[in-house]
Amino acid sequence: MTEHTVSPLGAMILTYRVLVRQLFSLGRGAALAALAAAVILVAWAVGASDSASPENDALRVVVDLGFGVMVPIVVLVFATAALGDMREEGTLVYLWLRPMKRWPVVVGACLAAFVISLPFTLLPVVLSALVSGGSSDLVYGAMIAGFVGVLAYTAVFVFLGLLVKNAVVWGLTYILVWETVAAGFGTFPARMAIRGYTRSILTGKVGIELELADVGLTAGIMVPLLIALGAIILGSWRLSRLDVA
Amino acid sequence: MVQVTNVTKSFGDVVAVSDVSFDVGPGVTALLGPNGAGKSTLFRVLCGLTPPTKGAVRVLGRDARTDRMVRGRIGLAPQQETLFDRLTAHQFVSIAAASHGIPEQETVARSALDLVELSSDEEKPLGAYSKGMRQRVKLAAALVNDPSVLILDEPLTGLDPVQRTRMIELFNGLADEGKCILVSSHVLDEVARLGSRVLVIAQGRLAATGDYHALRDLMDDRPHRIRVGASDPRRLASVLIERGIADGVDVSAESVTLDTHDVDGFGRAVAPMARELDIHVTEVVPVDDDLESVFRYLVER
Amino acid sequence: MTTAEIFDRGYRRFDGDRSGTLGAVRSLAWHSMRGILGLGRKARHKIFPIVVIVLAFLWPIIFIGLAALFPIDIFADELRPEYWELARFPLVVMAIMLFSAMVVPEALVRDRRNGMLPLYLSTPLTRATYLLGKVLAVMSCLAIVTVGPALLLLLGVTFEGEGPDGPLNWAKVAGQIFLAGTGMAAVFAAVGLAVSSLTDRRAFASVAVVLVLFGSGAIVAGLVEGAEMSENLRVFNVVDMGIEVAPRIFGAAEGEGERGPEASLSDSTYLAGVFGWVGVSAAVLWARYRRIGAV
Repeated sequence: MTEHTVSPLGAMILTYRVLVRQLFSLGRGAALAALAAAVILVAWAVGASDSASPENDALRVVVDLGFGVMVPIVVLVFATAALGDMREEGTLVYLWLRPMKRWPVVVGACLAAFVISLPFTLLPVVLSALVSGGSSDLVYGAMIAGFVGVLAYTAVFVFLGLLVKNAVVWGLTYILVWETVAAGFGTFPARMAIRGYTRSILTGKVGIELELADVGLTAGIMVPLLIALGAIILGSWRLSRLDVA
Repeated sequence: MVQVTNVTKSFGDVVAVSDVSFDVGPGVTALLGPNGAGKSTLFRVLCGLTPPTKGAVRVLGRDARTDRMVRGRIGLAPQQETLFDRLTAHQFVSIAAASHGIPEQETVARSALDLVELSSDEEKPLGAYSKGMRQRVKLAAALVNDPSVLILDEPLTGLDPVQRTRMIELFNGLADEGKCILVSSHVLDEVARLGSRVLVIAQGRLAATGDYHALRDLMDDRPHRIRVGASDPRRLASVLIERGIADGVDVSAESVTLDTHDVDGFGRAVAPMARELDIHVTEVVPVDDDLESVFRYLVER
Repeated sequence: MTTAEIFDRGYRRFDGDRSGTLGAVRSLAWHSMRGILGLGRKARHKIFPIVVIVLAFLWPIIFIGLAALFPIDIFADELRPEYWELARFPLVVMAIMLFSAMVVPEALVRDRRNGMLPLYLSTPLTRATYLLGKVLAVMSCLAIVTVGPALLLLLGVTFEGEGPDGPLNWAKVAGQIFLAGTGMAAVFAAVGLAVSSLTDRRAFASVAVVLVLFGSGAIVAGLVEGAEMSENLRVFNVVDMGIEVAPRIFGAAEGEGERGPEASLSDSTYLAGVFGWVGVSAAVLWARYRRIGAV
């Protein structure tokens, strides 16, 4: 009797392949694409208007619409569904009762949610920076902050999907209560919000002060990456201790 | 090959499995019990999907929850019907093969689907499959890694009678290869055909184990019911009662149905008695020697 | 041997009076409300409503607490918010939005997903009366956070002897609080229900409500403040339209208290905006329910 095993890379690719197909549907894609189009349209309207401070206006669109709404919520939809939906539906067992390590499954799930979220987040954010008349610094800043932010949100929300049953509701509460209201109450809550770091990256690039943005450019990039790593480690731990249906 | 030692599993206040122990070796073993008896929970604990509250479970001597390698030697067809709905059957089973680290996934998937009589070329996504087809896809996925231990949760539900017979043949064939096959069911007729080894579970407890004919014989405290077709059932009945051979009788136009504690005594007495009374006996049939009555007796006790 | 027999297992027919459609609507509304608030459900279903209600009542409780603890005349002071102003406090706005997004979908989506809707429609309830019951339930829940905080403030103020002069004035203020709260609840309930009618997944309904609430605000801000387009576009900001009900009902003058930029809209534009949102939402809801759930 031979005992087969699956390499970590194999497990990662396998999970990714399964989830990319399960996560994307035309309905979701169309709704989110329409939303992205609306954001870009607003950015374009802002860019087309006469303004005393075009860079500032462009930054506001990118920060409020892009990083305030599009990025966290799009990622929330896909990332909590990644392993969370499998767990709820009872299909997780097909990836769980296998001779595979846990962490590549979590990484593969993050990768799938990340790749699917990217066109609906990074694209509108960068395009709105472009069409709203922002400088090239803003465009690069949006690109870096978008990439880093989507990564961090993805890992955190994949973990959340493994942690609680109605992850979307808890994720929305985090986005609405913590990132939008509580983060404004002081340095500590701001440091505990991913929004603080994406804003720091933008501030670091364009040099315009934003609320919550109180760390440097390097920290703004590094901390979210560490958050993602931590969330993946916690997710793997959680996956191995899960009650699977 | 599968060892369950004093396993208890509770969810909050609800005890789903209570102090269950058994050993299962190669061959087909049926886990029989009514809905909600704890069969699926027991299977989940066996596969390591959820830890037991108390006790220990070993599959091939190891714990599937912590031992990664032993998971590759288990094939599980879970109770829930959900599959990856966007995939075709062939893709699904190929992915199952890949997730077991099997090199020739395409070939293996094809032969697993052949075993359950599904086509690998079907392009319909699994979301559009009927219950019986999903059931067979699950089975193919469970077989794809050539498992030593095969755990099948209600695998025959949703299948038509012909498929059912084929699947039972398949299980028996796999058992002949020395695999350990655990099949749960709440349908007695299925279990009677699956094989003679039975674990009866009721209200989370193990009610009985063993060969079901042997089980039947063990329960001598239980009256056996026998129907005797006779030319004068009324007279036969009165003599049976008179001589203390039957505890109770029910007389119809052509037969006597009697309950007795002493089957052997009845067997020895019936022919001489018929001759003595000049009654023609047309048949002697045990009417409760089927699994259903064994089952009902065990579960309702 | 035996003849067939069906045993009497003790089922009884109900011979009493039936409460009819009105009773059906009332009990549907009542039990939907219990479900939304997590009453009679496990503790984990109660966490969310309690968190939201605490958020909403935090400010009036702090005000009343301060007034009770310290002899200073805090209610007479400028510190005291106007009754309508409470609804503009970020925590209260957030509570209203959270309720609309997280619990309003609960009222509709579960019935469709579990196949309860056809069962309801087999009772004296019709599609219209079913929706009426759900609207009542959702508005009552939302009223907790739209009427509640202001009402608590009024009671606190009255208790400290700083309330409106005379029972007539008091009744007028209380009436305004109720009216304003009901109006706000209607706007948010309408939008929440309309969006929830579009998807069978509760999680997606929640996300969609948030996107409509937040998205409409952010898009309007971008267009009006960023692109400097017409101020009248503010009617597309559904959150501001909903919250603005309170100052309009209290007839707050401009410059009095904290008001948002939507205060500059003329009454007719504002009314068109509010009724537009409610009307379109109701139309969407009805269009969906006219077709689905048929057996």
